[in-house]
Amino acid sequence: MLSSIPEFPSSSIAPAGSAENADTALRTEDLSLWYGARQALDRVDLAIPARRITALIGPSGCGKSSLLRCLNRLNDEIAECRVDGRVLIGDTDAYAKDTLVHDLRRRIGMVFQRPNPFPLSIHDNVAYGLRLLGIRHRRELDERIEAALKSATLWDEVAARLDDSAFSLSLGQQQRLVIARALAVEPEILMLDEPASALDPVSTLRFEELLHELAQRYTLLLVTHNMQQAARVSDFTAFMHQGCLIEFGDTDALFTNPRERRTEDFITGRYG
Amino acid sequence: MTRRRADEAGTWVLAGAVALCLAAMLGLLGLLAGAGFAPLWPATISELHLHDGSTLLGEIVAVYDGAEALRISETDRIGGAYRRVPTADIAAQWQPADAIVLTLTDGRRLFGRGHAAEESTLLASASRPAEVLDIVRPNALGTFARFGVFARNLGRFFGTRPAASNLDGGVLPALIGTLTLVLVMSVIVMPLGIATAVYLHQRRGLGVRFVRGAINMLAGVPSIVYGVLGLGLFVHGLGADIDRWFYADRLPMPTFGSGGLLWAALTLALLTLPVVVVSVEEGLARIPVSLPEGSLALGATRDETLWHLLLPAARPALLTGLILAIARAAGAVAPLMLVGVVKLAPALPIDGSFPYLHPSRQFMHLGFVVYDAALASSDAIRGVSRAYACAALLVGVVIALNLSAILLRNRLRDRYRALET
Amino acid sequence: MLGNPATCESLLSPDFVRAAARSRLRRGRLRALLVNTGTAIALTGLLAIPLFLLGSLLPWTGFPATIWHRFDMLLAGTLRAAACAVLVAVPLGIATAMFTAHFCAPRLRAWIKPALEILEAVPTVVLGLIAAATLAPWLKTHVATVLALIVAVPAVLLAAGFAFGSRVRGEGWLPLWLLPLLIAGAAVGVAIAAHRPSAAIVPASPWNAMLVGLALGLAALPLVFSIAEDALFLVPRVQTQAAFALGATRWQALTSVLLPAAGSGLVAAALLGLSRCLGETMIVLMASGNTPIAGFDPLVGLRSISADLALGMPETAPTSEAYRSLLLAALALLVLTVLLGSIADFVRERLRRRLHADGHA
Ligand SMILES: Nc1ncnc2c1ncn2[C@@H]1O[C@H](COP(=O)(O)OP(=O)(O)OP(=O)(O)O)[C@@H](O)[C@H]1O
Ligand SMILES: [Mg+2]
Repeated sequence: MLSSIPEFPSSSIAPAGSAENADTALRTEDLSLWYGARQALDRVDLAIPARRITALIGPSGCGKSSLLRCLNRLNDEIAECRVDGRVLIGDTDAYAKDTLVHDLRRRIGMVFQRPNPFPLSIHDNVAYGLRLLGIRHRRELDERIEAALKSATLWDEVAARLDDSAFSLSLGQQQRLVIARALAVEPEILMLDEPASALDPVSTLRFEELLHELAQRYTLLLVTHNMQQAARVSDFTAFMHQGCLIEFGDTDALFTNPRERRTEDFITGRYG
Repeated sequence: MTRRRADEAGTWVLAGAVALCLAAMLGLLGLLAGAGFAPLWPATISELHLHDGSTLLGEIVAVYDGAEALRISETDRIGGAYRRVPTADIAAQWQPADAIVLTLTDGRRLFGRGHAAEESTLLASASRPAEVLDIVRPNALGTFARFGVFARNLGRFFGTRPAASNLDGGVLPALIGTLTLVLVMSVIVMPLGIATAVYLHQRRGLGVRFVRGAINMLAGVPSIVYGVLGLGLFVHGLGADIDRWFYADRLPMPTFGSGGLLWAALTLALLTLPVVVVSVEEGLARIPVSLPEGSLALGATRDETLWHLLLPAARPALLTGLILAIARAAGAVAPLMLVGVVKLAPALPIDGSFPYLHPSRQFMHLGFVVYDAALASSDAIRGVSRAYACAALLVGVVIALNLSAILLRNRLRDRYRALET
Repeated sequence: MLGNPATCESLLSPDFVRAAARSRLRRGRLRALLVNTGTAIALTGLLAIPLFLLGSLLPWTGFPATIWHRFDMLLAGTLRAAACAVLVAVPLGIATAMFTAHFCAPRLRAWIKPALEILEAVPTVVLGLIAAATLAPWLKTHVATVLALIVAVPAVLLAAGFAFGSRVRGEGWLPLWLLPLLIAGAAVGVAIAAHRPSAAIVPASPWNAMLVGLALGLAALPLVFSIAEDALFLVPRVQTQAAFALGATRWQALTSVLLPAAGSGLVAAALLGLSRCLGETMIVLMASGNTPIAGFDPLVGLRSISADLALGMPETAPTSEAYRSLLLAALALLVLTVLLGSIADFVRERLRRRLHADGHA
């Protein structure tokens, strides 16, 4: 699937100290965002490497969720919201006039802070996106659902009860179900907005393993409030503050040797 | 301290108001249940011995101050044999166990006493002959047998056509008329109501405020005004036009140019539209925003999100709206009086002959039977008890519908509690 | 790429997805068209009511004085019946709402609300039947009994509350205690009255405004209750809690906090109750006698606009003057109810906004 993305010259805005042959899956240029008169993003330039985990950290309200919602144009749903700048998904300009928004969103899976399964059965939750794409054949649907659930490491737990309501799952299972739902439509990028905040420590660990596995095949963009988690799972880390991208680089470098004072304050906990 | 006690006294008055409301509701339901079922129960037959030596056999139908009203054998016509007997004239009164009641097919009742042989003599005493429908010896019945008679009467009440110009027999045509009307109305109002609710849910701005304002305004307009619209615009306007274009050969006999099922259903659809819109919109608004966002993030268009996720998730709300609309429509009688309800319809609006549903036919309706039987029947006493029976049936249907709407609403709330926390 | 079995092709043949995406958009546009059409039809239907009435009265030629005179009597009858009904529905409905919203035990409240919803669902033709067939013959000889009960019941409650109120615990369940007492008391009162039928007040007709008022009041009661209760319940808890913290009794919290805050909502409830009574048809049709009589006497019959429409419309030729006078009457009813409804809506909306702002302040 990723093979269909043309090679992207890893150019100027790639993270400092990036691994040599990492392609760029997603790029923003001068991205600014306003909710009414209030600016939530201020000229963000970011290049997310393909098939890596990039963590997005920053204090509450700094615009992390807003950034994610810009990338898949979910902010279009908010009436008083205005966007300026460019977003490139692969070689597609997300905000170009002829872009099909719903196709764009399919290519970028999104997992929300709280798991939001649909009030349908487990099976139908995963089938939802596939049916939209016109896949109606029962066997094909089942195969794809099984594959997606396996990728989200949920298959073994739910194989016997695919027709139960999705609400009957535990929170951790629901979160993986939501991931399976996103994976089923074969996205290129998976954005996760504080996906582990509702999980207990054990589930969180399992979840991080899942992230590692997924990173073999997908570009992951992970928002987290948990510094250890960012340090543990991510390859790259971006630090945001008050709508600005402050620092972006190799996770180890950023955590051990931040270039900016504000980054250091934040990761050492001197800043709320 | 006195101040405190005065406060308590005020509280008691308020509590008394609540108690009064509850008492009114209980009294209402009790009265309906009692008076509604009474006509179906086998009545006791009394024999009155008067001071002048004569005896009267019949059913005591009312007791006034100082007098009793008695219905004796209706040898001639239904409702033509009431006697008002002053209490002072009565020497003795008892219930003979061998009393016989013969019910004729035209609704008349003949009373007699004696063995089985008496029955044919009794029948012969009728000055106008008719077939016998039923023979009962009510005073000799045990509790169990009484229930048997009650069940038989109930079956006849539900399952047969009216007899004796709606004084006797069943209410089947009225029941079918009511149900057909409500069904056709639902088929009209649901798509319109859902479309309007969806429009209000999706859009912002001036159009929405206008539509919502119009709906709010018209929700409070009395039903009779809808009836005026139905008669003036649908029957006299549209109906007359349809007749001129398509049924010119039948004129001056109106086809759609007089009240009928279709116009009544349309009128009721307008009447219930606000109920449906409000209920569906509320159901859509209650769905947490994380659901549509999840769907959009998966690559669904806004429209697909609505049809594949939101409307199915709001199904209980759609049902609630439908049920409330049906309850409101089933109770609305006034507009129907203008657009096609009749006391006795020659044919059902739905039957086995093509095209099965006959939208131009006039129809009967339970609510109208209540009105008509209570006020306009030739036998006031039978009319009122029949009106009560129909009223009990109508209220039973409407309350059942409302209760199911309440239950559904609660289920919808429970369903999303998982998502709301 | 997912580890999909070989049977599944990748979705990502871009041509397939793009073509599908475009056809999906087209389908969406079609459905949006359906929605808009449906809304337009619904709106046309609703707006047809005022437009039709105005349109048919537009070639206005004026009416002779006799028709105006008759219209006046109908209007007077309508107002008299509505006034009687409002006298029943508003005090009772608002008092019930005050108790339910402020004093009631939550479990009892959970029963009272559906009970009144069910009362609201009872078709008015049934209330009309009860009024015409059962209540009317009784009321003929018992006008004085009813008036006496109206005075006596609150007086007895006041006295009882004054005497025993402070000794009763759990006032939240008070209505359930009072219910049997009330029924018993009323039964005793009626029984006493039955033994010495009072000829003190004899109505001119068994079908009169008082009878209509009783039945119509019962019909409008649930509406008044639910709107008043909504308004009272909307007042943020913190405000009454604050009053309690200052040592107010429940009753004082009601009069000093709740009523000033939600008073306009109660007015709206009364207005909507009045609006409902003005247009109600079946009860008036069955219990009013349907003779047009002007004046204010609650013990004579009347004919209301709505009943006149129900009786007159089907029998009038659509080209006649009488027909147009009926349309005028319908328009008057429409204007009256829409006006009352708009005022009530405005008041409620303002109240909601104010309470909302207060709640967050
Ligand atoms: N729909 C909206 N309308 C108006 N302002 C908004 C909206 N959504 C977010 N904001 C504002 O934009 C800013 C950024 O919000 P955002 O949700 O992106 O922060 P965040 O970094 O995700 O915070 P958190 O870590 O708490 O989730 C905040 O100040 C917030 O108040
Ligand atoms: Mg966030």
